[in-house]
Amino acid sequence: MYLGFLNFFNASPHFLRGQCPEYLSDELQLCNGLLSCSLRKSIPSLPPLRTPEIQCAVDSEGKRRGWKKWIPNIAFGADKVLRSIAGATSSPICQFIPSPTTFLHSVDPRIKLVWLLAFILLPARSHFYMRFGIVLYLALLSVWALPTNVWMDQLGRVILLSGILFIILALSADGAPPTVSIRTPPPAITGLPNIPSSFHGYKYLILKLGPLQITRKGLSVASTSACLTFTIFQSASLCLTTTTPEQLASALRWFMLPLKHIGVPVAEIILTLLLSLRFINLVFDEIRNVALGILSRRINWEQLTTMETIDVFIQYVRRIFSNIFSHAEQIAQAMIVRGFRGDSKNHKIHFLSDSAVGVPDIDKKPNPDSLVQYI
Amino acid sequence: MNYSTLLRASAAVLPPHFSQSPSENYAITGRNLSFCITTKQGERFSILRNCSIWIPSGQLWMLLGPNGCGKSTLLKVLAGLLNPTDGSVYVKKPKSFVFQNPDHQVVMPTVEADVAFGLGKYDLSREEVKYRVTKALDAVGMPEYLHRPVQTLSGGQKQRVAIAGALAEACKVLLLDELTTFLDENDQLGVIRAVKNSLASTGDVTALWVTHRLEELEHADGAVYMEDGKVVMEGDPSTIFKFIKDQQASYMDQINC
Repeated sequence: MYLGFLNFFNASPHFLRGQCPEYLSDELQLCNGLLSCSLRKSIPSLPPLRTPEIQCAVDSEGKRRGWKKWIPNIAFGADKVLRSIAGATSSPICQFIPSPTTFLHSVDPRIKLVWLLAFILLPARSHFYMRFGIVLYLALLSVWALPTNVWMDQLGRVILLSGILFIILALSADGAPPTVSIRTPPPAITGLPNIPSSFHGYKYLILKLGPLQITRKGLSVASTSACLTFTIFQSASLCLTTTTPEQLASALRWFMLPLKHIGVPVAEIILTLLLSLRFINLVFDEIRNVALGILSRRINWEQLTTMETIDVFIQYVRRIFSNIFSHAEQIAQAMIVRGFRGDSKNHKIHFLSDSAVGVPDIDKKPNPDSLVQYI
Repeated sequence: MNYSTLLRASAAVLPPHFSQSPSENYAITGRNLSFCITTKQGERFSILRNCSIWIPSGQLWMLLGPNGCGKSTLLKVLAGLLNPTDGSVYVKKPKSFVFQNPDHQVVMPTVEADVAFGLGKYDLSREEVKYRVTKALDAVGMPEYLHRPVQTLSGGQKQRVAIAGALAEACKVLLLDELTTFLDENDQLGVIRAVKNSLASTGDVTALWVTHRLEELEHADGAVYMEDGKVVMEGDPSTIFKFIKDQQASYMDQINC
């Protein structure tokens, strides 16, 4: 046993030097120092303390060379990343808000799905004024229907995203010169007169700011993309904040039911969708909790090498996956306990939420003979 | 600890072993249950060792014991989630199981849909399902949480949703694994009342409740104490309470000496 004890310390060079890895917390360092001192007193045959230095990092005067400070330190970045993960909310953006109940809450989810599809298709093939009108309409609807803090948060994010997209595309869509020459031969070669310029003040180039230029083409591309982005994101946000996941699933099931006749497993798809919607939150929770666990260990990131930091992150990802698989197993057990036997057709999912139009109970009543046996 | 002495002491309250079929007075019976697992190194490790348990119908019984003594494993064996290595089990049907961690139990994205999930196996009308869901949420004190997304609930609220799911199924046997771990005192009392009400309203519902909280014993009709994979003692709650308190006192004496 004594030999085994010695082997353990021999395997740890930090302990033999009377030091401990500096990334360990202060308390651990203290314990470690005391332990190694008492060990050293009791074992006189141990070699004297040595502090090895990396020669390439030390100059002739024994000082560290200046180049080392130029090596990027990822310690701060790692800590910041984990802190931002740990501090993030576990709830996804645009989750359902049950109160205050607005008229949008009572709109049939099937209508909302059609409305979503229309808002995706309309801005892509419509006039600029139409696109702008939809954006304005959605913004006003959000302000009117949602609580102030919610619409301010939603519109703020979407406007920021659309604005960045608009600026980038407006400046860059027609800013770069074509890499190949145009195929139309110049008038000097053809001998034909040049195309006359507009008599009505038409200008292809709208604005020129040094090397940057805004053209009609750039403006068109930018407005289309920004409006489309705004419309898709904001209409989806409005839909998600005023509709429960079950209502959306029931609407989707209603639209997919005809596909059942060509062998599409509609019941399985809907159940999988609902389970996924629940599981996403568990995954977010797990990512956050494991990050919190690492932060609570008080790792001194600045003392870790790049490889050690990467190793911590690999362990982090491994732990997340391990916990997620464990969760999945437990949820599967819970489903079995609650009477699910793997056949979505025999286990009815009840969609109880009411809406203005009302989702009919379109499920076929399960045959009592085929009902699963209770455990 | 001298188990043989303890077993002899508790022998008086144990019912006689049935030979063929379990008595109808008992909703849960486990006889000579053993459960072993094989480790990666090929070693056989016993979690349950010759456990026998009898829980009378229509009563709330508590299952107590230190961490790692096999309480949850015994509960899973009774629920049919684990097959015992040896012994026989009889539990009245339908039965329901509530996990210690509500995140393992709640499988749907909103409260209403989750409580209704367990009813999917029955042939019930929409109105009946709605009635049961509302009643179950009322019982756990969460009637206004019908449309709330599950991820916005606290640990205690999720636990109550899990319990509501079990209550909605109107089972004959409730197997409850450390329900009150995440709950504060108010919620704890609310949950105990919900389970007691469920038992009182029908008269033939039986509950077996795994707990570490000794104060919950006062609400129980009986209790079982486990240690090291064995049922050490079973009987009325006051006897078990006194037994555990004596154990704690002797442990404290050992530390102080």
